[in-house]
Amino acid sequence: MLKLFGGFFAGVLAVAVLGYIFMGSLMFREIESPFGVEETVARIQQNIQNVGNGWALSGLRNPGRAVESAGGNVLPVMMVEACSTKYSAPILKDDSVRFLSILMPCKVSVYKKNDGKTYIGMMNAGLMGKMFGPMVGDVMSKVAEDQAKFVLFDPNQPAPPMLKPAAPGATGAAGASAPGGC
Amino acid sequence: MTVERIYVFKKFERFWHWSQALLIIFMLLTGFEVHGSYHLFGFADAVAMHTVAAWTLVGLWVFAIFWHFTTGEWKQYIPTTEKVVAMMQFYSVGIFKGAPHPYRPTMLKKHNPLQRLAYLGVLLFIGPLLWFTGWFYLFFGDWKAWGVDGLLSLEWVAFFHTAGAFMMLAFLIAHIYLTTTGHTPTSHIKAMITGWEEVD
Amino acid sequence: MPTIRRALLATCGAAVMLTALSAFAAASPDPTSSLNGATSSKKSTADHSKFPELKRKFKTGPEVTQACLVCHTEAAKQVQHTKHWTWQSADPKTGQVRGKKNIINNYCTSVVSNEKDCMACHAGYGWKDQSFDFSVQKNVDCLICHDGTGTYRKLPGYAGHPVYKRVEFPHGSGRFVDAVDLGKVAQSVQLPSRSNCGSCHFFGGGANGAKHGDMDSSLQHPEHYLDVHMAEKGLNFSCITCHATNSHEITGSRYNVEAARTGDAAIRGKTDANPAACQACHSNKPHHEARLNQHTEKIACQTCHIPEFARNNIGTELSWDWSKATIMGEDGKRMMRKDSAGRRAFDSQKGEWKWESHVIPEYRWFNGTSTYKVIGDKIDPPKPVQLSVVGGGPDDAESRIWPTKVHRGKQPYDTVNMTLTVQHTGGEDATALWHNYDWQKAIATGMKAAGLPYSGKYDFVETELTWPITHMVAPKEDALSCAQCHSKNGRLKDIEGIYMPARDGSRWLDILGWTLALLTLIGVLVHGAIRVVNSRKAG
Repeated sequence: MLKLFGGFFAGVLAVAVLGYIFMGSLMFREIESPFGVEETVARIQQNIQNVGNGWALSGLRNPGRAVESAGGNVLPVMMVEACSTKYSAPILKDDSVRFLSILMPCKVSVYKKNDGKTYIGMMNAGLMGKMFGPMVGDVMSKVAEDQAKFVLFDPNQPAPPMLKPAAPGATGAAGASAPGGC
Repeated sequence: MTVERIYVFKKFERFWHWSQALLIIFMLLTGFEVHGSYHLFGFADAVAMHTVAAWTLVGLWVFAIFWHFTTGEWKQYIPTTEKVVAMMQFYSVGIFKGAPHPYRPTMLKKHNPLQRLAYLGVLLFIGPLLWFTGWFYLFFGDWKAWGVDGLLSLEWVAFFHTAGAFMMLAFLIAHIYLTTTGHTPTSHIKAMITGWEEVD
Repeated sequence: MPTIRRALLATCGAAVMLTALSAFAAASPDPTSSLNGATSSKKSTADHSKFPELKRKFKTGPEVTQACLVCHTEAAKQVQHTKHWTWQSADPKTGQVRGKKNIINNYCTSVVSNEKDCMACHAGYGWKDQSFDFSVQKNVDCLICHDGTGTYRKLPGYAGHPVYKRVEFPHGSGRFVDAVDLGKVAQSVQLPSRSNCGSCHFFGGGANGAKHGDMDSSLQHPEHYLDVHMAEKGLNFSCITCHATNSHEITGSRYNVEAARTGDAAIRGKTDANPAACQACHSNKPHHEARLNQHTEKIACQTCHIPEFARNNIGTELSWDWSKATIMGEDGKRMMRKDSAGRRAFDSQKGEWKWESHVIPEYRWFNGTSTYKVIGDKIDPPKPVQLSVVGGGPDDAESRIWPTKVHRGKQPYDTVNMTLTVQHTGGEDATALWHNYDWQKAIATGMKAAGLPYSGKYDFVETELTWPITHMVAPKEDALSCAQCHSKNGRLKDIEGIYMPARDGSRWLDILGWTLALLTLIGVLVHGAIRVVNSRKAG
């Protein structure tokens, strides 16, 4: 009996440890971009505007700029912010999950690493949504579906211009000037 | 079989042994990171700590050498062929049968003949190899001033330093295991801690 | 006796510790310099607006120069000895004659046959073709370097003359450039400021930041993160704080780099030392840590302290593909395209460009001497042509590992004579490439002007231009960290001829060593296991 429980708890512990180790990579996703930072941002912005489902750009954040203002250097990093009221509204209306507003707007991060390549960082919305009940799970799985389209690039299309929010800068004011937004 | 206790390791000797053990393990840990084998402390910290540990060990050794010569303890390392064969037979056969240890340490002869050889090898070969190469590794920037920049290459200095480290690692593994081969598995370790060894 | 022993022990130990300490602190002079670079606050003893010679109307640039020469009798002669005037430079070591006049690069390729445009950045007036007389003193342009108003403008197409008459520029753009008030500019003269130097050096290659990457208009008002020396709210250096001049000769040319300076910091005002090298102020042992100072034996300061260049949204050009020039839009007209960051990406006149910001440098051994391709040099296609090769190597005591910008291009060459071609690009005449979109005519005219044979057959070849990076020094906190090079895939992974801990090592020794350790471990485990089993049997 003791052995049985011991084995069971050991198994649980092992899963917990594995979960802890891989949690980061499960919750977030990183892919390499074939383009430079600015072009990757611009193409994602274009994709967001073309994907439908109410998606609109709500800002472009440059946290690197804040570091520069403080006198330091970081490799370029930019966050494309997008929002769709179609997905945000149901969550924002439900008191039990309103705290998930902390995940809004939806962000896609584009950055360069020391290998000189550009990478795209995203949240695994599908998996995260499953943790907060069927309604959120349903919404987030749709978000995840659209999110995958944000980073589908057609290299044959010419590079679109990067859309800068009205008030960029250190504080990273979300560009409320962009159409839509949440 | 009566159990007897004899005083084998003096206070300084025990201090020297354990601090040296810690430093060597630490230097292996940091050294192989500097070598690029893994990431643990981060390269910069590994280098810095390896260097500090090296200087500490230099200091310790100066004391130890001084101690060995002023006390005459250096004689403990004079190699002997007496009972070497018996020791080898004990480790390869007798130990499995519970045969008695062929060597009985005393205050004057605390190391068995194989220990003498092994430690002498560490003291006269692995040690100097590491010290010598480590010294030039550390003072790479002064090679030109010393006029040795044409004679040495960092690649070979590093090669032999790493080779010495591998040998030290192998020694460490064997050494730790052999501590369990005393009267009881822990009697050697106890002796190194308290100074008193239990013998058959 | 025990007392003496203890005393001896103590002395001995103290000696060891002292040696250890002194080894740590090995000769590291305080790098903090007492120099404050507020050159901008320098006040002249002369107010040029009070000089009667300058209180008049000037019609042309040469007229202003003549007025300057009334007092500054030697100035023009001095300038005429400098590269700013001759666009020519002989390498003291190799004897090779380079300079903008002679080299071929993979930006605008060559000035020959395009002088009218290119000479907008010549410190002179009237260099419109090969017949220019370099001895005429009044043709030296004082104002391009000494204008204090920021209004003095020279445009392409006027052979170095400033704007005398309000003119539309660029042609057909609807934007206008006003005529320069030469009198006002003449009365404003000052020591060259960042904007004087920058008016040419920031915009080389035809666009802001295009050419150098470590020099662009962001250095006009740089922030601390971008350049610790020039930071407007910090040391506020101007260009000439480092590139100090003597008789108009400017120190610190890319054509003759002091790549491996050693020794102490120079005393201010000592003229025999090149003040443009980092070590001139910092010495070659500027760190508190001896280990970092050791690195100066192999690594240029710039390698760690300029971790990336073009650290702004201006960016720099990484490639220029001339073979795409003359591709017209669907309507048959000139077509232009910008990249996502708003920088030029394509122009039917010039071809295709690629840009990048925060560029990670390519690292090379460099001894200060570069070999350039000059007009007429033979090439060996289809191998990429090295338009400038940074000299040196790991076994050369004068070489250090430097960060470089490599600009890659594709440009025309004569497939029979095996020379890079000179092409007539600028201008509105019948053979100019940017007017007629006809390579054949443009090359024929260019080659004729350069005095080179042209077979009539051309193709495009890949070219590489390698330049050392030296500006935009980052704050020390942002210098490369140890592990950025000391790792298997670090910044210096392609640098040969040097042993780097954590990057290098003998593979065989590793295999052998770990095998030895593993076998020892297996040996003792087996030995121990047999002992345990046997003792259980016995017990």
